[in-house]
Amino acid sequence: MNRTLRLVAALGMLAIPTLAQAQSITGSIAASATIQSVFAFGAPSALSFGNVTPGTAATGSGYIPMQRNIGVIYSMPDGNATGALTGPGGTIQPTYTCGVGTTSAAITTAFANCTSTSALFTVTAASVSGLVNEWVIFNGSLSAAQTNTVPGVYSGTIHVLATPN
Amino acid sequence: MTSRTGLPLLFALLLASWPVRADAQSQKSVSITPVQSLSFGLLVPGIRGTVRITDVSRRAVVALAGKGPVDITLVLPSSLDSPTGERIPLQFSTGDAAFLNADGSTISTLDPLQANRVTLRNDRTILFVLGGTAVTATTTRPGQYTARVTLLVNQPGT
Repeated sequence: MNRTLRLVAALGMLAIPTLAQAQSITGSIAASATIQSVFAFGAPSALSFGNVTPGTAATGSGYIPMQRNIGVIYSMPDGNATGALTGPGGTIQPTYTCGVGTTSAAITTAFANCTSTSALFTVTAASVSGLVNEWVIFNGSLSAAQTNTVPGVYSGTIHVLATPN
Repeated sequence: MTSRTGLPLLFALLLASWPVRADAQSQKSVSITPVQSLSFGLLVPGIRGTVRITDVSRRAVVALAGKGPVDITLVLPSSLDSPTGERIPLQFSTGDAAFLNADGSTISTLDPLQANRVTLRNDRTILFVLGGTAVTATTTRPGQYTARVTLLVNQPGT
């Protein structure tokens, strides 16, 4: 009889720890962010040959800033007509040298030419480690023979195509 | 004879304890239902992105249901990571978490770095909300960054 009582009492005690048992569960939630691509031209500085005396050579320089945190491919969509000047005496095609600079003052990496509709300068995204500020710079020159023409205003546009890479 | 009369009484007491135990277990059932992820959205390199707990469209929301007191502990990621291993450090501080009623009213603001206790009731769902700050650098590369926040819900024993 006593054994039965002890058994019953033991069973009763077993129930008590169950009551005190803590319960734990877990859950999870996602967190996310998307880092924006930066890829934009800034305000250009016009290339001006100024007032040119007919029959004398002239030079000018201009640039357009670029800010990006991805790769880029530069090309000239107008091809051989890039930066052509038109005016009263017809069309004048200056000679250009161009490239990118780490400042607006000087070209640090020159393009092979300034008239190719194909890639002239390529930077891959993998090689970009942050925000890049660079300037696409054009230096132009007019020969004396080219300026020996009908007086007037001659103007044109240099189109630079930047393709995200 | 005394022990014979006492035996049924003990059995009766033991049997009476089973319903109590079952009741206690049902009180302990707690559910966690993720409702909304913590979304910092589109960030600009070099500019910190903060999600406040009042930002209903970007804060994380988890629904808690059950009965009784529960302790909520978070395992917070130190960063958002890109598939290529790039990292955006995350910061959490006091006030970046809160318990809300289902109608959006605030029960209490919390420190997500500590365990926080709330008492659940069967007749209501409590929302746990979480914000935080993502600290980007100018060198942070474009792309998608992700992490997971783990909630540990512990219901203390009675």
